Amino acid sequence: MEIQPIEQKKKSWFDKWYKFFPVVPVLILIISLVYLGFFFKQQGDFIYKDVSLSGGTTITLKGDFDSEKLESSLKQKFSDINFRKLTDITTRKQIALIIESPATAEELKAAIEDTGFKITDENSSIEFTGSTLSKGFYRQLIIALIISFVLMSIVIFVLFKTFVPSFAVILSAFSDIVMPLALLDFLGVRISTAGIAAFLMLVGYSVDTDILLVTRALKKGEGSLNQRIHRAFKTGILMTITTLAAVLPAFFLISGLPDSFRQIFLIIAVGSFADIINTWLTNVGIIKWYCEKKGIK
Amino acid sequence: MVLRKEGNKMKLTLRIWILIFVLLLSLLTILPWPPTNLLGKGVVIKSIEQNSSAFEAGLRQGMIIKEINSKPINTLEDYSNAVSEIFAEQKNLTKLTIKTSDNEFIFLTNKTPELTLGSLPKTKLKTGLDLSGGARALVKPANISVSSAEINDLIAITNERFNVYGISDISLRAVRDLEGNNYMLVEVAGATPTDLNELVSKQGKFEAKIGNETVFIGGKEDIASVCRNDATCAGIESCFQIQGGEACRFRFVIYLSEEAAKKHADITSKLGTNVTEQGRYLEKKLDLYLDDNLVDSLLISEDLKGRVTTQIQIQGSGTGATRQDALNDAKQSMQKLQTILITGSLPYKLEIVKLDTISPVLGKEFAKNIIILGFLVFLIISVILFIKYRKIKITLSVVLTMFSEAFITLAIAALIRWNLDAPSIAGIIAGMGTGVNDQIVIIDESISNLNISLKERIKRAFFIILGAFFTIIAAMLPLFWAGAGLLRGFALTTILTVSIGILITRPAFADILKKIQQ
Repeated sequence: MEIQPIEQKKKSWFDKWYKFFPVVPVLILIISLVYLGFFFKQQGDFIYKDVSLSGGTTITLKGDFDSEKLESSLKQKFSDINFRKLTDITTRKQIALIIESPATAEELKAAIEDTGFKITDENSSIEFTGSTLSKGFYRQLIIALIISFVLMSIVIFVLFKTFVPSFAVILSAFSDIVMPLALLDFLGVRISTAGIAAFLMLVGYSVDTDILLVTRALKKGEGSLNQRIHRAFKTGILMTITTLAAVLPAFFLISGLPDSFRQIFLIIAVGSFADIINTWLTNVGIIKWYCEKKGIK
Repeated sequence: MVLRKEGNKMKLTLRIWILIFVLLLSLLTILPWPPTNLLGKGVVIKSIEQNSSAFEAGLRQGMIIKEINSKPINTLEDYSNAVSEIFAEQKNLTKLTIKTSDNEFIFLTNKTPELTLGSLPKTKLKTGLDLSGGARALVKPANISVSSAEINDLIAITNERFNVYGISDISLRAVRDLEGNNYMLVEVAGATPTDLNELVSKQGKFEAKIGNETVFIGGKEDIASVCRNDATCAGIESCFQIQGGEACRFRFVIYLSEEAAKKHADITSKLGTNVTEQGRYLEKKLDLYLDDNLVDSLLISEDLKGRVTTQIQIQGSGTGATRQDALNDAKQSMQKLQTILITGSLPYKLEIVKLDTISPVLGKEFAKNIIILGFLVFLIISVILFIKYRKIKITLSVVLTMFSEAFITLAIAALIRWNLDAPSIAGIIAGMGTGVNDQIVIIDESISNLNISLKERIKRAFFIILGAFFTIIAAMLPLFWAGAGLLRGFALTTILTVSIGILITRPAFADILKKIQQ
């Protein structure tokens, strides 16, 4: 085989350092957990919730109008109000203004119309969620997330039937959730119901590269252990690149997508980045160590 | 299962045939019926006012209008132009000849037909509210929890209310969440009815009282029938100026049941008479209450005293800044009152816990951008795979597989009449992403030049793929029940897409790859 000499060289370097691979991701995981702890202490919750999870109204006003006046006038009337602009990526023109507040739809509508903006069925979308309902939603989605994680863990244990490899995969899935969560909190992103659904998706989606790695590493007879891990890496990284290719255009190339859509994609994108280090540093380290110890060469 | 090459011509394997068969079936499911709709000539009737002249002539929901008075109708614009032309000059009865795809209807009318029209659907796919526009309300009884049977009763009454009110493009469903709460989910496609809020949340308790005694209430027990859409017994009576605007009075006749009429006779028989300038009336009035608010007080003429009368005239008024506003307000109040009198009141007070109204214009913009995004994703993934494998055949087969998965998922959505909302489409894209990942695993296993048979290598690939498949299913399942099922679409389409991948496209893809390798 032509690639043999390169493989050999890689081997020695890899064999020397693999035990330190998990250091960086584990540090990031610890920092994320500590940050989330502080965040929880400060905010009383693990995320910034948008109105679909905390109760209130979102009004989307379509069109390219002067939003400054409207924003300043509304800020005077409502203490807790947020604005986001949807702009066209190429022309930079405003497509719509999204207004969020815990106020009721009627209050917010009246305040907007007071500034002279006429709200019609055509130029606006109004979404109202009652606070009891949204709290219920939040509670249930968190329960769903936990159930989802437990079910996923069971599947992994059934699949591999051994503790260490299964644990490595589950740890990676856990980090894939915790890291994006901390980053989103740090960036001040308000998470919606669709966002939590995306975290559920992440639970199922991010483990496929880990399954690939563990399966390839544990199955003997396909070259050396390092070759098998290297091959898994080449396949897995392509998998993650295609995933990113599918979700990133939603931020850099296409504008004017529904908010729920963008949030799902944002979380999958951040989760995929986290998965790269969690799989190819932490897991590779653990699995290689495990195989060496068990004599799987 | 792989069949041998026969000369230069490759024979397709059973798995590939299954994929082709399912794709054809999907095409048939997605195409509109009849397929000539694709040409887009005509407009479809989305709803029609019952008892209107068009309805009586035989026009029905779902029919496709092709011509009006010999003018061809291809688009909604053609229709509105034709109708405004016809009714621009004519104030009297006009003869309308409406030709549909398979019939002709002729009727006389003095106003534009009471129809809601839409463009011909190009596919059988249905888009959700966030993409097509419309309104959604999640309703629950205030302060009490109810069983799912009670929610079904509520749905039956609400459904009747919407029918009476003339809103037909509506879906009512009972939903239950993880914590066992029952809700009624109301979805109206297209434009939002202005009074949706009131229609679904008002208890609609109607009471007619004389003094403190209830004479009759809304609903079938007391009210045999209500006159609507018949100018001889229902309509706007008069309009007049009031302070700060205009007011219009409406009136309509209702027919009491035998029992309610007797009660009316009993109560009135005990009343004395007042003599006023306008005439001789009983000393107490008939007070009409809607949700405990006094709507109107009607004088009862002396000759009704103690008489068993089944026919009663209900009156009320509407106000507004202009005459037109007052007229509309009066019409609306009349319709509301009629609806409640027919359907009766709901057994409890309701609370709207979620109300979304989505602009159809914004929704269309979103849908357009999602389609562009979809194409872009296909393109980028093809380019990446081509760069990696440098084989056009492999790239094409991956793209074909991705496309098949999305297409079959859409067909199933059309088949089960699933409304595709933004999360549903995100689910399809995520599912396709998993699909691509799986195919990369298969390709990498099959092109690795190791001393294991191709069959064995693909078998190994399927172990990884099945593992990934079950974790995705496990992760998405809880979403079916959480949050009143509003994110069910996301879970459904993801699970559908990955399942189609595992069952249909991936086996076919593996065979296609074997062919390419050979």
